[in-house]
Amino acid sequence: MIRRNCLATACLAATLAFAASARAEDITIGAHMPLTGSLARSGQAFNEGMQVALRVFNESQSKHRIKVTVIDDESQPAKAVTAVEKLSSDGAAAIIGGYGSNIVGPASDTSNRLGKVYITGGAVSDELVQRGNKNFFRINNNAGYQRGVEGLIEEVKPNGVSIIASTKEAPMLLAKGLEESLAKKGYKVTLHPFDPAITDFKPIINKVKLQDKSEIIFMSAYENDYVGIIRAAKVLKPPVKAIVGAWSLATPKMYSDFPDLMQNVIGTTFLPFPVEVKDEEGRKFAAVYKEMFGKEIEYASTLAFVETMVLSEALARSADAGTLKSGGLLAEMKTTNRPSPLGRITFNEVGDNPNFALSMGQHRDGKIPLVSPAEFATGKLAYPAVPW
Amino acid sequence: MLELLQQSLFSGLLVGSVYALVALGIALTFGAMKIINLAHGELVLLAAYMAYVIESRTGWNPYAAIPLAFALTGIVSVVIYLLIERIREHRELNSLILTFAIGIILTNAILLVFASDVRSTGSPFLQDAVSFGPVYAMKGEITAFIISLAVMAGLWWWLKNSWYGRAVRAVSSNRDAAKLMGIDPRRVELAAFIVAGILASVAGVALYTMSVVQPALGPGLTIKAFIVAVLAGVGSIPGVFCAALLLGVTEAMTVTLASSALQELVGMVLFLLVLFFMPNGLFGARARRG
Repeated sequence: MIRRNCLATACLAATLAFAASARAEDITIGAHMPLTGSLARSGQAFNEGMQVALRVFNESQSKHRIKVTVIDDESQPAKAVTAVEKLSSDGAAAIIGGYGSNIVGPASDTSNRLGKVYITGGAVSDELVQRGNKNFFRINNNAGYQRGVEGLIEEVKPNGVSIIASTKEAPMLLAKGLEESLAKKGYKVTLHPFDPAITDFKPIINKVKLQDKSEIIFMSAYENDYVGIIRAAKVLKPPVKAIVGAWSLATPKMYSDFPDLMQNVIGTTFLPFPVEVKDEEGRKFAAVYKEMFGKEIEYASTLAFVETMVLSEALARSADAGTLKSGGLLAEMKTTNRPSPLGRITFNEVGDNPNFALSMGQHRDGKIPLVSPAEFATGKLAYPAVPW
Repeated sequence: MLELLQQSLFSGLLVGSVYALVALGIALTFGAMKIINLAHGELVLLAAYMAYVIESRTGWNPYAAIPLAFALTGIVSVVIYLLIERIREHRELNSLILTFAIGIILTNAILLVFASDVRSTGSPFLQDAVSFGPVYAMKGEITAFIISLAVMAGLWWWLKNSWYGRAVRAVSSNRDAAKLMGIDPRRVELAAFIVAGILASVAGVALYTMSVVQPALGPGLTIKAFIVAVLAGVGSIPGVFCAALLLGVTEAMTVTLASSALQELVGMVLFLLVLFFMPNGLFGARARRG
């Protein structure tokens, strides 16, 4: 009887020990995103991409289960700082950052002070990587966008470029970088900064038409501005040969919402539409995204997917090495070297991804072929070609 | 240069007419109750989204949404009034906090229902260009301008000739004296709020047809409307129209002669200068005497 009890106890202990070892280890990360406020559209896309990444990662292995606590920063820097403090005090192992350099800046400073790794795909200001924050990582940067646009301009060699740029930090940074670089290359460049509160772009477009007489309008702005600028251009019809923009322009969403304005417009992107994902991870992302949200992957959600995958893998490596609670995550982030739907991801000594580069896509009857640079092109550039 | 200035002047007048439509509602409730409805921009936004719903679901002209927009903004206006009416102490100050909170609730409700995407009319007619000599505009802008003029005239007529209009002016001028004359201030204030809702519904639909709307737009509209109402001075309908046109033209001229980056700054400088030299606004004193 005693022997039988001992055997049963041993079996139970072995079963419990096996169950414990087989159970996934829970790791909680924190995220602050602008789910409401002026940046809500981008914030929601980022949230979607992050949720898909966590599901893909958790399904890809059974050893670690990564959960996320999301706080809405309401597109406000002060709320983002509070969110990072709350997430950290609640035990988040790392922070996934929000959108907008003016928000990510103070939030990542706070994260750095609290000793938490902070990763973002939504802030391109150069200043962010010049602060010496050792815990800061990002997968995209201003240089990547600038390279994409410059490449296109070098291909078509216009007589001049009119840059219409929002005075918000990131658009202005891109606009000034492009202005300086193109001027050095001998192009005639005119910068028209505009207040984000502007509702009528006709006075600016009229200056482009009557004074600049440029062949390209480049818009460094956001979706609502693009609509206003192109609509004003359709009314005044300046003699330009192409309308080019930065982020969130060459997306299927913009075409489906504003088909009459988008035809022939060119914007930065990394995937053509219909989506042709060449790598396995990208295909998986696209499939799960469609299943969860009923739509095709887009620009902002892809950035969030990649940043979340990078962080999740580093967390898993650190947990495997038993260094997660002793600061090992930082070292694991620095060793990141992986392909992704955005290209290869590595981090330099200041936490920036030096490989980030974008192609240019052109809206064409609901499709968005990549038209520049030539080595990634999936279609021929229509030039001159404008929406009217 | 002349061509640039002509286009700026024209664009400024068209934008100013929409500022006027948005500002009229705030001016009316401020005049009647001395209350600044900080949720007025969100009411306008609500109407703009009704225009989007009607256009995207039925393919009709967005202006067909005005009755639906009015029904919704009217109901919300009545709710706002009933809440304000319950404030017993420091109504001017506490109503600011209350309407600010209602604005936040409305913004987030719009965000939940319509998501954060930018919306604007897809009507080819409203987007078509129309030229008047050297100046150009969208047909949607011209339509909004004409509607703005008509609404302004209608409101002026209502305030001057209808019993309720005169009662609003009486309550605005002296609430206690109006009571002694047999006017029920609560009914009059409610009427003012409902009329402000009508104005918000027209303004929202006009905004949708000539610009871009998104959930975060509300507070900006309220601020712009407040600036126009203060520039005009309390109680002057033509004053609101003139102040709105002045602001629109000043902003457009700043874009042409200097930079768009300065347009908000120049608008605020104009606002401060008027407050400094004419504390009653450009038309305030004259209107009160009338």
